[in-house]
Amino acid sequence: MSAKKQMVRRINNHAVEVSLPSKLGYERIAMDCSASFAKMAGFTPQRIEDLKTAVAEACLNAIEHGNKNHPDTRVLVTMNFKDDRFSVSVKDGGNGISRLPRDRTVMRRIENLEPPKGLGIYLIKQLMDEVEFNKMTKDGHSVKMVIKLKN
Amino acid sequence: MTQANEIQMEQLGAVTLLDIRGDITILSESFLNDAYEDANNQGAGKILLKFQEDAYINSGGISVLIQLLAKTEQNAQQIGIIGLSDHFTKIFNMVGITKFAKIYKTREDALEAMS
Repeated sequence: MSAKKQMVRRINNHAVEVSLPSKLGYERIAMDCSASFAKMAGFTPQRIEDLKTAVAEACLNAIEHGNKNHPDTRVLVTMNFKDDRFSVSVKDGGNGISRLPRDRTVMRRIENLEPPKGLGIYLIKQLMDEVEFNKMTKDGHSVKMVIKLKN
Repeated sequence: MTQANEIQMEQLGAVTLLDIRGDITILSESFLNDAYEDANNQGAGKILLKFQEDAYINSGGISVLIQLLAKTEQNAQQIGIIGLSDHFTKIFNMVGITKFAKIYKTREDALEAMS
């Protein structure tokens, strides 16, 4: 519990930041934090589940592909709720996604019962109202997702 | 952080139930594969996968399930799923898993349909 407290920081009345070690499983801290914040903002249980899955998948990509599971690196998740928009930014130290998988390719692989590369990205796009991949910053790469209260 | 899976096998008439405890992630691969191999070696023709309703399932876990479904297709086995939350029922429909495995609301519904 104390470790969890150190990972979460309040930025202002509308925003919190979660800093995760690049280790599989820690995405659940960001998931739980986003769920609590979205509940306070008035989202329905169904939309909170959508948000949790999208946040988890973005963090998993950041941990595995962005930071290459390097234990000394962090994934920064910033959540902001303002004007009925809940936005989540997930930052890692990587170079971004060189080629975004096409939805059609992901679905074709599943239809052929092959491991679907890019399934996390597919799920994020399906579940969120807005998504921006490959936002490059001086410190690395971020994904920004938005879920709207009134959809 | 992610718990290991505990999987119990139970024979319910013609249906082999795999009761899966824990989250479904990439770390579930060996647990699910071992349980499936046990069921397959015992000649299972109809397999019912039971998940915990509060289980966390991510894309890594879905990939593991898809690889499991590939084996059941090769072996012409019928697959059912129970215990999913409404959210993961939606996700499984969204990604097309339901083309290969039918989701049932209850164990009774599944056994009646699969027997």
